[in-house]
Amino acid sequence: MLIFLYAPIILLVVYSFSASRIPGQWGGFTSEWYVKLFEDPRIQRTIGVSIRVALVSTVISTMLGTMSALALERFKFRGKRVFDALLYLPIIIPDVTMAVMMLMFFTQAFDLLNLVFGIGLSKGFATIVVSHIAFNIAYVSVVVRARVAGMDATLEQAASDLYASRWQAFRYVTLPLIAPGVLGGALLAITLSLDDVVVTQFVAGPGSTTLPVYVFSLIRKGVTPTINAVSVIMLVASLILVAGSVGLQRASAARGRQQLRTTGGK
Amino acid sequence: MTERSGSPSNSHAAVSLRGISKIFDDVTAVDNVDLDIADGEFFALLGPSGCGKTTTLRMIAGLEIPSAGSLQIFGEEVGPLPPNKRPVNTVFQNYALFPHMSVEDNVAFGLRMRKVDKAETARRVAEAISLVRMGGMEARRPAQLSGGQQQRVALARALVNRPKVLLLDEPLAALDLKLRQEMQFELKQLQREVGITFVFVTHDQEEALALSDRIGVMDGGRLLQVGTPEEMYDAPVDRFVADFIGRSNFLHGTLENSTTVCLSNGDRINVPVVDSDVIAVGDAVQVSLRPERVMVCDPHEVPEGHARLQGRVATVTFLGNSIVYHVQLDWMTVVVETDHRPDLRRRAVDDDVALWWRDDAIAVVRP
Amino acid sequence: MSVGEAELQRDRAERRRGLFLALPSFVYMILFFALPLVIVLVYSFATRTSSGSTSLSNWNLDAYRKLGEPIVRNVVVRSIVLAVITTAICLVVAYPFAWFCAHQRPNVRNLLLVAVMIPFWTNFLVRNYAWRILLSTGGPLSSLTERIGIGETNLLFTKTAVVIGLVYAFLPFMILPLYASIDRIDGRLIEAGRDLYGSGSQTFRRIVLPLTMPGVIAGSILVFVPSMGAYVTPELLGGGKETLLGSYIVTQFLTARNWPVGASMSFVLMAVMLVSTIIYFRAGGKNL
Repeated sequence: MLIFLYAPIILLVVYSFSASRIPGQWGGFTSEWYVKLFEDPRIQRTIGVSIRVALVSTVISTMLGTMSALALERFKFRGKRVFDALLYLPIIIPDVTMAVMMLMFFTQAFDLLNLVFGIGLSKGFATIVVSHIAFNIAYVSVVVRARVAGMDATLEQAASDLYASRWQAFRYVTLPLIAPGVLGGALLAITLSLDDVVVTQFVAGPGSTTLPVYVFSLIRKGVTPTINAVSVIMLVASLILVAGSVGLQRASAARGRQQLRTTGGK
Repeated sequence: MTERSGSPSNSHAAVSLRGISKIFDDVTAVDNVDLDIADGEFFALLGPSGCGKTTTLRMIAGLEIPSAGSLQIFGEEVGPLPPNKRPVNTVFQNYALFPHMSVEDNVAFGLRMRKVDKAETARRVAEAISLVRMGGMEARRPAQLSGGQQQRVALARALVNRPKVLLLDEPLAALDLKLRQEMQFELKQLQREVGITFVFVTHDQEEALALSDRIGVMDGGRLLQVGTPEEMYDAPVDRFVADFIGRSNFLHGTLENSTTVCLSNGDRINVPVVDSDVIAVGDAVQVSLRPERVMVCDPHEVPEGHARLQGRVATVTFLGNSIVYHVQLDWMTVVVETDHRPDLRRRAVDDDVALWWRDDAIAVVRP
Repeated sequence: MSVGEAELQRDRAERRRGLFLALPSFVYMILFFALPLVIVLVYSFATRTSSGSTSLSNWNLDAYRKLGEPIVRNVVVRSIVLAVITTAICLVVAYPFAWFCAHQRPNVRNLLLVAVMIPFWTNFLVRNYAWRILLSTGGPLSSLTERIGIGETNLLFTKTAVVIGLVYAFLPFMILPLYASIDRIDGRLIEAGRDLYGSGSQTFRRIVLPLTMPGVIAGSILVFVPSMGAYVTPELLGGGKETLLGSYIVTQFLTARNWPVGASMSFVLMAVMLVSTIIYFRAGGKNL
């Protein structure tokens, strides 16, 4: 089972150092493709777009997702159930449907803006970011919610009993305790943003494509050793993120066990 | 008003509730409660879960705002104030210690929020920590402390703010039996040392009897009776109170006049004087008969001038220091508990017996 | 101020705070998610004019009627068949593995589960690409089979390749819920089954399987739904030869310019997802 899961990934890394021009064949060791890769301006540009999209969409969706999580776990307000349902949909909706939705929306919105205000907008960096935020808010909110739900609400009450204002209680008690969840949500958002091909492909403009979409179009034209090398770069990036989130989980699991002992008397 | 018995109703009451109610959506959690708690008193709010005791405590703390009524602390109206504007502090159930802070930071939290200067904070924190005998543990995290130690930190964290009233929500419920008994003693000791009013909530009647100067029993959101532990045990005015504090037999009847009850089997018995403000003549009542205050004897041996009930022993249960009999009367069963002593005759199943009691050993209660 | 007013005020302030926290996301999701969804729904009832643009003046179900046409029907049926095969293979492979995991010491168990999750977290595109290299003509798998004497294998751009890719992509979705439900079985129930004269297979069929059914259903749905809508995997490993629903929808938008049909098929896909989600929650999926 583990061989089935890891063999393709390991072979990919191995073959990325193969000197053969055919991507699946071994022709001696070389790092030529990596050098080539970093000389390719298209790849450099798309890497830049990917990183900027991931960072901007992660920062915004982490903030919005955390606020939603707090609202849903700790407060009552009008429209809460609708909001809750609306936040679940992006998680279960198929990629392709989401992509179609965003494409049609932007096309219509741009047509309308052009017609009414005469503003001519086109798809590009902003549309990618907007779309990524639209699915990432939901994921961040689910991750943070789990953390908020696991946090004893009486801690906030204890803070206010000890003369903390609402803001102080949040700043000194709630935020430090949900921080691992917020960080976990942010890591998930970066991962999903860097992962996405389908939605981005639909909303990207001619001048601004992310790395995965560019690589996808290259693969469809035919595989080359350079793609091997790019893939390994993407692989390493996602492994770093995985390591981050596994580490985070371990740390918070350890703290969870401690906390369990704290309240274990009951 | 259902509240009873010696409330010192002067302007110096530490906590004073007048007509306090709390309604959540459609549920009345606390129903029109009047209560005065005196300065320096150790007061227990006792009742089963869902009786409204915790909601009452949370209203005093400011964690809930009453739906109606007036709530004063040392004569000052605090009903609408948020918790951080009140001279009270709370020891939460399960303590609610901040898991990401050390013992010292936990204790200092309230002073820091109020921007007390650093030297003063350090001095008072050290003082509070030594008061609860937690010296040397300042750097520990709550997770590294035992249940009893956490309880002490929670006490220090509240007391360091020098509240006028300390509120405790089921303070001992999370501890095991042995530790609970030790902490009961410590709590009482601590209250004497600091000399401030303690109000605590518990569902454990023994804890309430052991710790408090006075007890208020709540049920269904209403405060049924307030009094010293002895008053609550000896002279309950409500069947719920008699049943919740200790155990009791209840004989149904009607109040004929302030000292006589006509039982449902037709017997008339003398009872301690009934306050007509609590129960009116002619009302249906119950007579509370504590199992250990009922005497068992042979059918003809009841001393002159006492009420008696004739019956037959149905079961005998030996409990070591005592023996419990279930005595079957022709209209009900009475539980009797007698000491297990060589000089007392032990009855057997099917023995015919008579039951009797001193007139002051019983109480008339609302059904 | 009376306590009653204060109570109301605090209640209102709390609701305001809640709304204030939720509002930015709420507005965002309505504008950039709910509204797009409605647009797709509206378009699925529209008509494509001869010039290739879309006319909204004439509402009809034409786009949905396309489901009856052989080409579209074949696409849908093919997608369902592939998704079912993928799900079945995942189930057969994952069950023993989940069982094995559940019966290890806690340390080993956690290690195995993390090991299963890591590939799942790595870049989706890269995972598919890796199989493209592995299966390519003259590639690693082919040279392996040649060396052990089975002969060259040319799996790339076949249905088999697509199924392999889908199984690889979605296997963790099957393993985790199965593991959760197997882990929850009280071992004494199995012992009781054996004690009451059940054979090994009888005990499995009559006790273990019914008890792990919620996991089986949850896992199956979690694999089936994304397989139905898969686009990247069939494109890379199937070579776009045999069009599946995901690719068909993309083509309708990016090439054929038939938005109403693309929109209606997106809705068909979403309907599958919604129905499955309902079944998932009914089966107690929320607890898994």
